[in-house]
Amino acid sequence: MEHRERVNLTASTIDHLVAVTVFLAATLLFIGLFNQTIQTAVIYQRHRAIATKASDLLDTMLLSPGIPVNWGQTDSNLTGFGLQDPEFTQYRISPYSLMRLRSSVGEPVYYNATGQYYSNVTMGDRNFMLVPYNLALDYSYVTRLLGINNTYGFQLTLTPVVSVSIQETQFANSSATFNVTAAGVGFPLSYTTISYCFLKVDSSGPDSPSYDISFGTVNADDTGSVSINIDNVAADDSYAFIAYARLSGLVGMGYHERTNDHEQYVVPFIDSFEEGRVLLAHSYNVHVDETETEATVFYTATYVLLTEDFILREMPIITEKEHVVYGYGTNQTFGNLTIPTHNPGILVIPYKTTGTNRDGVVLMPWGISSLAFPVVFGGDPQKQEWVATDIRQVIVGGIAYQAKLALWSLEGYQVNG
Amino acid sequence: MPQVTIEYMIMIPILIMQIFLFPLTAGWIMNTWVDSRRTLALQEAASHLGSSMQQIYSSLNHAAIAAGTVTNKLDIPPFIEGYAYVGNATLRTALDPALNSSKILDITLRLMGVSIEATTSVTLGQNVEWQQNSTFMSNSTYASINAEKQSNGVIRLSFGT
Repeated sequence: MEHRERVNLTASTIDHLVAVTVFLAATLLFIGLFNQTIQTAVIYQRHRAIATKASDLLDTMLLSPGIPVNWGQTDSNLTGFGLQDPEFTQYRISPYSLMRLRSSVGEPVYYNATGQYYSNVTMGDRNFMLVPYNLALDYSYVTRLLGINNTYGFQLTLTPVVSVSIQETQFANSSATFNVTAAGVGFPLSYTTISYCFLKVDSSGPDSPSYDISFGTVNADDTGSVSINIDNVAADDSYAFIAYARLSGLVGMGYHERTNDHEQYVVPFIDSFEEGRVLLAHSYNVHVDETETEATVFYTATYVLLTEDFILREMPIITEKEHVVYGYGTNQTFGNLTIPTHNPGILVIPYKTTGTNRDGVVLMPWGISSLAFPVVFGGDPQKQEWVATDIRQVIVGGIAYQAKLALWSLEGYQVNG
Repeated sequence: MPQVTIEYMIMIPILIMQIFLFPLTAGWIMNTWVDSRRTLALQEAASHLGSSMQQIYSSLNHAAIAAGTVTNKLDIPPFIEGYAYVGNATLRTALDPALNSSKILDITLRLMGVSIEATTSVTLGQNVEWQQNSTFMSNSTYASINAEKQSNGVIRLSFGT
């Protein structure tokens, strides 16, 4: 009898223990799931707030010219950030203000002669845009100007909408044939009008390098393509082919060059936006290699710009050859030139080297749109928890671009409006 | 004897404690949920207010726009779960005031009767002024944003009262 009572008491105790444990577990599970639901709602709202902020911030950047309004064309420091072209309304962006944004992707270039680092956007082998750090805007400074330092991070990218590809398809009988194709995002620019400029380097004469330049306008077919034949081009000639495509206000550009010297060339450094001054250095002085022997590069320079009626025009800058050297105990020297206009265009620098008579051509945009360079400015969105993006279609110096802002919060889970 | 001790001395107090524990837990969870819901709604309103303020400024801030006054009736709720909310704003410069830099308007909304706040910031140009002591009242007939563009290009912003 005693034995049976003890067994009943034990069973009852186990019942209580199991019931209480299950109840507490259920309560904890319920709290956890409920908190998770609340957190999901909070995070959703936070993401919505970031998306709204991204839209507002992008408009702040694109619909205000900044302070001072023409800061892109001066060397002065700015006190209010904005990229709008001060001569226009709506989403018209200054091609010079964009040049003053420090690139997030290019490896900075250090030039010994000036003792400065340069923001680097290099497309292809010989197309440079090197802006000194003292003129290029720092990302953290811009976040202060926008009032979002320590609260939001962003990356602003601008990419051309229209791509113009140029290929040398045939070379025979001292003439070259180029296939030019213009396309938008996923569609061809049928029957687009293409204005082009062909600049061939002549390094044979005593005053070389000089250049021959020709212009033309053609219409593309329904696939947006056209073949252009250029006469008097030898197999080893260096040249630059620049083309603008336009269709109902949509304008894009492309370029193609051939150079036969891959070692020595001229490197252009922007020195002053206000005065249009560009420093020209020997490539050996920039890409320091103490094993190189003494060397000289001769150059001339011209400026090609697209006029308002979409005709390419040339503006010679240096017609008599000049030179930059490496070695000879003077590797701190550089040449310089002044671009006499603030109309966006392309600085074209034909050059030749000594001894081997090898030559080539260097291009530099004056106004970032003239070579349709892309812009990447700001932080890195890759490692962020959640990134809101917003886009606008904009015009930069007459060229169609897409502006995209990626924005993320730096405040953890706190929700800000 | 040990079984009796477990059952009556430990388990019964735990069960009695559960009578209080369950409603307290449920109440705490519900309070958290309600506060979060109100905070989210208030932040949504603050975000909307800031965005509207910025768009009005951008619209007026161009030489082609003549001097005048614009009033924007806001599409935000007058109450959040039965509570009205008030708003204040302060204007500060992004850099040193002597540098004539862009200005940041910090807007704070408070839910009346409960201690819930939400803030938002709006980036504006150097030609903006904020009317001191201007207060936003969500359930007011005149709840709105006023923007007065003056002939010298200064844009004076305030809440409608």
